[in-house]
Amino acid sequence: MKQLENDEYMLNLWFCNIEGVGNVSRRKLLEAFHTIANIYDAREELIKNVLGDKIIKAFYESKNANKVIEISERLNERKIKFVYPGHEDYPKKLLNIYDYPMGLYVRGNLGNKINEFNSSIAIVGSRVSSAYGREIANNFARNLAMNGISIISGLARGIDSAAHKGALVANGHTIAVLGCGINVTYPKENIELFLEVERNGAIISEYGLDVSPNAGFFPCRNRIISGLSDGVCVVEAKKKSGSLITVDCALEQGKQVYSVPGRLFDQNSEGTNNLIKQGAYCVCSYKDILSDLFGEDYTKNKDIYIENKEKYIENKTEIKDNCENDKKKYKSNIIKTEGNVNKNCLAPMEKMVYSCLSLEPTYIDDVINMAGLGITRTISTLYMLEEKKVVKQPLKGYYIVAI
Amino acid sequence: MFSKVISSAVLGVDGTIINVEADVNDGLPMFTMVGYLSSSVKEAGERVRTALKNSGYHLPPKRVTINLSPADIRKDGSAFDLPIAIAVLIAMGITPAIDMEKTVIIGELGLNGEIKPVTGILPMVHHCYRYGITKCIVPIANVQEALLVRHMEVVGVSDLREASYYIQGILQIESKINENDECINEKIIHSIDFNEISGQGILKRGMEIAVAGFHNVLMTGAAGAGKSMLAKRLPTIMPEMSFEESVEVTKIYSIAGLLDNKDVLVRKRPFRAPHHTISNHALVGGGMVPKPGEVSLAHNGVLFLDELLEFDKSVLEVMRQPLEDRKITISRVHAAYSFPADFMLVAAMNPCPCGYFPDMKKCSCSVNQIKRYQSKISGPLLDRIDINMEVKPVTCKEIFNDEKRESSEDIRARVQQARMLQIKRYENENIFFNSQLEGKMLKKYIRLGEEENKILEKAFTEMDLSARGVYRILKLARTIADLALSTEIKSEHLQEALFYRNSGSFYYNNYDKI
Repeated sequence: MKQLENDEYMLNLWFCNIEGVGNVSRRKLLEAFHTIANIYDAREELIKNVLGDKIIKAFYESKNANKVIEISERLNERKIKFVYPGHEDYPKKLLNIYDYPMGLYVRGNLGNKINEFNSSIAIVGSRVSSAYGREIANNFARNLAMNGISIISGLARGIDSAAHKGALVANGHTIAVLGCGINVTYPKENIELFLEVERNGAIISEYGLDVSPNAGFFPCRNRIISGLSDGVCVVEAKKKSGSLITVDCALEQGKQVYSVPGRLFDQNSEGTNNLIKQGAYCVCSYKDILSDLFGEDYTKNKDIYIENKEKYIENKTEIKDNCENDKKKYKSNIIKTEGNVNKNCLAPMEKMVYSCLSLEPTYIDDVINMAGLGITRTISTLYMLEEKKVVKQPLKGYYIVAI
Repeated sequence: MFSKVISSAVLGVDGTIINVEADVNDGLPMFTMVGYLSSSVKEAGERVRTALKNSGYHLPPKRVTINLSPADIRKDGSAFDLPIAIAVLIAMGITPAIDMEKTVIIGELGLNGEIKPVTGILPMVHHCYRYGITKCIVPIANVQEALLVRHMEVVGVSDLREASYYIQGILQIESKINENDECINEKIIHSIDFNEISGQGILKRGMEIAVAGFHNVLMTGAAGAGKSMLAKRLPTIMPEMSFEESVEVTKIYSIAGLLDNKDVLVRKRPFRAPHHTISNHALVGGGMVPKPGEVSLAHNGVLFLDELLEFDKSVLEVMRQPLEDRKITISRVHAAYSFPADFMLVAAMNPCPCGYFPDMKKCSCSVNQIKRYQSKISGPLLDRIDINMEVKPVTCKEIFNDEKRESSEDIRARVQQARMLQIKRYENENIFFNSQLEGKMLKKYIRLGEEENKILEKAFTEMDLSARGVYRILKLARTIADLALSTEIKSEHLQEALFYRNSGSFYYNNYDKI
């Protein structure tokens, strides 16, 4: 018992692992008792007054030191850091929001990076996304990351994954905020991305080990996404999308909201267009975000911007070193290329095929008809264009240009 | 007195010679049959006795013993009625045996002595001819079928008395011999045509390649995109069968009893489209004495499985072996039967439960639903499919486009050209199509240049191919090169082959809609 009382880390870990006590109750307890140590030592009646009768049993059962030690050991085993307000690695930006998390589990290098990185942008959007949306998210994330901005998202399907991938392609810094336990990958198919993000940035969660995803958790984690960032960019959202919750959080926290416009009748852009109507910053290029953050002439005069850029370069070399070491251990699939191939150095036939494509996925049959080169040659040319990374297949048989 | 005549039985898809021996001796009046007989052959005793009586022959009150040898083969079917009756007549001394060494007798008897047609005539007669028998006496209705065996003297008989008189030499029946070496090449007329299909250029191209090299195809697409329509028109572009191929198919159809009486030789490539409620045994063949299943009936032709995922999972998995070995072996207690099953698998399916994936506006399925739906088909089965295509629904513009479209005739001309190249290339091998290349032949006939090798190596690592997958791609590329009348496989052929290999919904790495 002694161990817990004197150790701040342990006390915080205990405080965040009481069954049935959530963020709201925790806040109430802190308001009543001021410090965690006080809560730990408080008499039963006082706790009862705050928490009510139901939870009190679980509350006392949780005071078992062995359990807390076990949790801490498991965290160490998995190289998961636990940070709490007051801990040196706790993201300072989060302290500015009203209901900041009482504890965060962190994998990767959040602690020493997030405070040094001056700017970060959250890129969010629908899970059911269009190829257009994913391509935009990927492009924005890649270019912003190259300018030293940390990309924050939720590691969900669709836009979130595209944003993380974009940042990774640029070897930039990216943070994924989970809506489930820190050692749970959801959705499952993102496991590779999960590991890659951990290596190049950080994965954080407010929920402890083995907590399975729950519909109620996701709106809560959205406040962390917006809290960590300087602005929230919504790429694609339906009328009632979960991404709009992130926007609400951002507005409450006084952050800028960026919205990517889409076609009027496109369901996936209904939400984003609405945001623009309500006064969100309309972004048509990643540069719009940069100039909003650092002023019109951001490349020349803003100290913050230049500082950012330097940080990026430092970070990049560091990550590269890490990658070199890691390569022996893992096969990195996401980081393949950097930057764009110049579209001007395409062969004439490649240009002909390329000109048939846009951000709207085009079916192979239509490409063949438009290009008029015959089936074999068109397919072979598309193959070479894909090789050069100027064309992508968001879905087998459908092609878009890569931006 | 003892007598012996020759008959034949079907084992799997081939015939075998069966000796029918009869002995008439003094003793208690009896009619005994021995020789590992199934119940349908045991019943032959009753039929033969009654037929003999009704044909005017009086069976003396003696002990009659019939033996069908070799005794270790289980005899089945009704084709032994006639040889048994003839053997008894000879043994009784009613019909003197003249030159029965080189004559095979096959036929079923009715109680009134009439001779009824039987199944499996072609494989039986074919086998007998190979073993030196030059004459066959068969039911009159089976004469056309028996005539498919060249140089065989065929005698058709319609009742027992006629058969008996013929053997005695009292009655002359004109025998027929097929000396015609040329396959009768009547043009097959189809009532459907490829030019009825609007749009779907890439799909038509895929089908053309598939047909030219006999590759397996899987079409994935929304309802109403034209998958089934296209599959039904496949026979119209398929290359004609050679005589040998035709005989192979006719043999199988003969055993299954599916032959057309008028036009016996099967000249159209088979197109089998079983319903998805089919059982394992119906698909691969089965029964106590195995009969060929759909995979064998589709031999040298197309097996079309519409709504692939509605089939029972186990039904799909039993196709693994025939897809690779091109034959199916069915083991039973008394023997293992082998049927040829060299078919081209054409399958069609919807990509998701609602059928509209990847159209974001129409498809309402969740990722997990789609995954669960597609997981019904296994990796090993998928690995055996060369052309995997995503079918996009046709647009209104394409439907009402009056532009002249290619007819089946045009496409078939190209296919035929590619087929000629293959026949010439494989004249010393026992194969007809690129897809049948195996083992050593692959190395011998498929060579790649340096550039092509690089492409393949890259694809191998990136697409996570299996060894079989690589070989299948090579064979497909060979066919594409043949269609382009190119002797070498160029990089563009290889790239097109790679495109077909992984352009279907099963190779989605994510389930993002568009």
